[in-house]
Amino acid sequence: MRKLIIGLAAVVLGMAGVAMAGNYPDRPIMLMVSYGAGGATDFQARIVTMTAGNEDALGMPIAIINKPGAGGRVGWNWFAKDAEADGYTLGAYNIPHFIAQSIKGGVQYDRDSFEPIANWGADPAVFIVGKNSPFNSMADVVAYAKENPGKLTFSGAGLFVGHHIAALQIEKAAGVKMQYVPTKGGGAAAMKAVIAGDVMGGVNNLSDAYRAREAGNVKILGVADVKRNEEFLPNVPTMVEQGLDVDDSSVNFRGIMVPKGTPPEVIGRLAATVPEMFKNKRVAGKMSAGGSPMHIMTRDEVLQMWKEREEYLGQLLQGL
Amino acid sequence: MEFLSYFGEVFTPISMLLLIGGTVGGLILGATPGLSPTMAVALLIPFTFHLQPVHGLILLGAAYTSTVAGGAVSAILLKIPGAPANIATTLDGHAMAVRGQGARALQLAFLSSLVGGVFGVLLLIFLTPLLAQWALAFGPSHLFWLAILGVTVIGSLDSDSVVKGLLSGSIGMWLATIGYDDMQGVQRFIFHDALGGGVNIIAALIGLFAIPQVLTMFAKGWQDYGVESIEVQRHPLSAAVHEVFSRTRALTIGTLSGSIIGLIPGVGGQIAGLVAYDQAKKFSPEKDKFGTGHSEGVIAAESANNAMVGPSLVPLLTLSIPGSPTAAVLLGGLLIHGIFPGTDLFDNHPEVAWPFINSMLIGQILMCAFGIYIASFAARIAQVPQSIMAAAVLGLAVFGSYSVQQSMGDVYVMMALGTMMYFLERFGYSAAPLVLGLILGPIAESNFIQGSLIATAGNGQFQYFFSGALNLLLIAVVVVSIGYSAMMEIRNRRVAA
Amino acid sequence: MTRVQHIVPSAIVTFVALWVCLISYTQQPSEPFLFPRLISTLFLALSLWTFGKAVLGLSKVGSGVSLAMMRNLAPGLIVSAIYVFWAAKTLGFYAASTVAFLTLLTIYDPSPHGSVNTWVRRIVITAVYIAVMYGLFAFVLKVYTPRGMFI
Repeated sequence: MRKLIIGLAAVVLGMAGVAMAGNYPDRPIMLMVSYGAGGATDFQARIVTMTAGNEDALGMPIAIINKPGAGGRVGWNWFAKDAEADGYTLGAYNIPHFIAQSIKGGVQYDRDSFEPIANWGADPAVFIVGKNSPFNSMADVVAYAKENPGKLTFSGAGLFVGHHIAALQIEKAAGVKMQYVPTKGGGAAAMKAVIAGDVMGGVNNLSDAYRAREAGNVKILGVADVKRNEEFLPNVPTMVEQGLDVDDSSVNFRGIMVPKGTPPEVIGRLAATVPEMFKNKRVAGKMSAGGSPMHIMTRDEVLQMWKEREEYLGQLLQGL
Repeated sequence: MEFLSYFGEVFTPISMLLLIGGTVGGLILGATPGLSPTMAVALLIPFTFHLQPVHGLILLGAAYTSTVAGGAVSAILLKIPGAPANIATTLDGHAMAVRGQGARALQLAFLSSLVGGVFGVLLLIFLTPLLAQWALAFGPSHLFWLAILGVTVIGSLDSDSVVKGLLSGSIGMWLATIGYDDMQGVQRFIFHDALGGGVNIIAALIGLFAIPQVLTMFAKGWQDYGVESIEVQRHPLSAAVHEVFSRTRALTIGTLSGSIIGLIPGVGGQIAGLVAYDQAKKFSPEKDKFGTGHSEGVIAAESANNAMVGPSLVPLLTLSIPGSPTAAVLLGGLLIHGIFPGTDLFDNHPEVAWPFINSMLIGQILMCAFGIYIASFAARIAQVPQSIMAAAVLGLAVFGSYSVQQSMGDVYVMMALGTMMYFLERFGYSAAPLVLGLILGPIAESNFIQGSLIATAGNGQFQYFFSGALNLLLIAVVVVSIGYSAMMEIRNRRVAA
Repeated sequence: MTRVQHIVPSAIVTFVALWVCLISYTQQPSEPFLFPRLISTLFLALSLWTFGKAVLGLSKVGSGVSLAMMRNLAPGLIVSAIYVFWAAKTLGFYAASTVAFLTLLTIYDPSPHGSVNTWVRRIVITAVYIAVMYGLFAFVLKVYTPRGMFI
């Protein structure tokens, strides 16, 4: 048995040696998602990576590993610190979450800890209220908040995540103070708070809000993006259209990255293949069926976007 | 009765094949330490990409029901609860298995799972709109009081001393605060890198239950190898059926409390089994037998955790809000086929929704049949020599805790907590209250903070937490529960004196 | 179980509680430590109660530890600790598990160590166990375990 194991070990080590020389990838790849199974990021990551095993993609399947906790901090800390930079450990990023968290401090990563590969989706934040709410536009919300400073409660999925950024921007643009209530357990819990009437309104993902509206549970008052979402919500105006100077900084960009120190040839191979993999028709079909907006960006575009977000968020979060 | 007309879809060859595959696969995945029902269902999602919507959902529905019951297998045979839902099953189930009555324990577990599970799914079929309102009624203040109610249950749960039980519970609540604070993102009590991600509940479960058992076997030493002398009793199925239905009290308490608690979003699934166990114990004339391999314990715990399956899907199917992590994964399974759950789900997609629910009914029966089939073999585990058993459980604990999220930190935490628990148990502390504290701590904390934020914007803390019928009802139950525990403590002292 | 056996563990628990309390009440920012303050106060109160009962000799629950028990436990605990905290990552999961399983089996197996049959039996059992673990975790569940020096 011992001999067998030593023999087996030798074979495996031998194969590992060959693998280093090239031929990447020659074994299944792992994709770390820093949110729980069933969350929007996890769900989309499973869809966009489902064709990874195809010959025209990476030729090896991608397995999703969830490391949830503290709005993504647990997973990204692990990714920055402990993940092997060998190209077999990928991570899913959420912008503006991880950049906002690194500005706020108390984490072991910043923009320079990671190398982006490609972006797959962009999920804008929207402002929602319950179906029986007296509010019918952002103007109603702002008027109420002006009359009752600090009395308007609204939910979102945690602090220093996209929803929180949108909340801060809305408050800043309208010049009002409202009561932001972060929930634990992601967007679903924040949505429940709105539908059940625990809070008066909420910031949530466009995809989840769209479904909730289809189910007849909420009204969507505004989109925190530079333009309307023509695919899912063509008749919901943006914040800017309603006189609130809110740009697309809170839009939740989701994509794939690797840890700093990953060999350049591996990054090159991934950066060339992954955006093509996202463009697969079946992927697009499944994403659209689930109400998840796609937005494919290449490595260079993502690098630029990360840089812009960091500059803007640095200003927004100053003094918080 | 509309659902009856959709049974045809479940009985087509491909559906039956998926149903059987999902059930058997789910049982095996559920019985694997470290693999919670959530992860098991998530693992199956990629398979559904290639199936028609209705077939994909039949597979997921069958897997969901059977993974919850599968957790009972490792809970009973190895004393490793597969998920928080199975904690209560270990208390009496494993005690039976050690005595060679593993077959009896498994039969009871699967039969009561069947009863609870079918009841839960029937609730889902007939009372969904009503139940949805009930699920929504629980806001932050109510969930806070519910968590406090759970804390008061801690004292009487599997511990001979109320004070030590509560102390174990407070240790658990403290352990839960380790790591990042979920709301603010501030680090708390991180003394070692392994604790950076906090104490993972599944890894903690494995450590707290499996490791003390391994160390107990070590401590018996090498002289004590009388295990072969344990007679593995064959247990006729008819006897098990008779036993389950003669324990009406435990079965009713388990089924009802499981269904009611299962509805509450974010809380239900984890504590249904423990709460039912505790209630069954309080109402039983044979309180002292609980924890020693008493059938009522297994029946209450297992009927509760499967009764929770149906109602836990109510918020998902009617409001599109996943009430549990597993429901969230199932939502993904619906979405990839473009099916949006909501009040009109049964009008727009009856051809998918009803077969999905029906498959959970049929799945329960298949699960029970298969579970009982393996029970008689599985029970032989009691005859495995302790030296092999100890080493095997240790290995499973290591692999299981690692595979939760592929983190070595979890393995270290698992071993450290387990070793600590072994010594604490020697001095009268117990694992079940500690785990309950670990589960309830974060629920109490996050709902307290959310409630305070809402209250500050509204009419103030007192008004928010102490008014409203549901708040007052929960507070009343808390008071009764504390009173009961105090009474028990006094009585215990009299008996001791 | 002697009174000392009640006093020592409850003293340790009380000490931990004190320390948790101290951290909760001194750390800044104080907001995230609001809940820990609440719990640690409860924790401390209960542990002091337990400690008091132990000192007064009123504690009854628990079976305590004995020297014989610790002597039996020590080798297994040491092997397990080395396995979990060092070998699993350094040697690789499957290599470490093989060694740990065989070692523990040898330590606690009552059969005579001199007999060839005993050893054959132990090695076969270890091989079967590792094969099952490999099949389940590497094959079915596709868990990528740490490779370390070996597999």
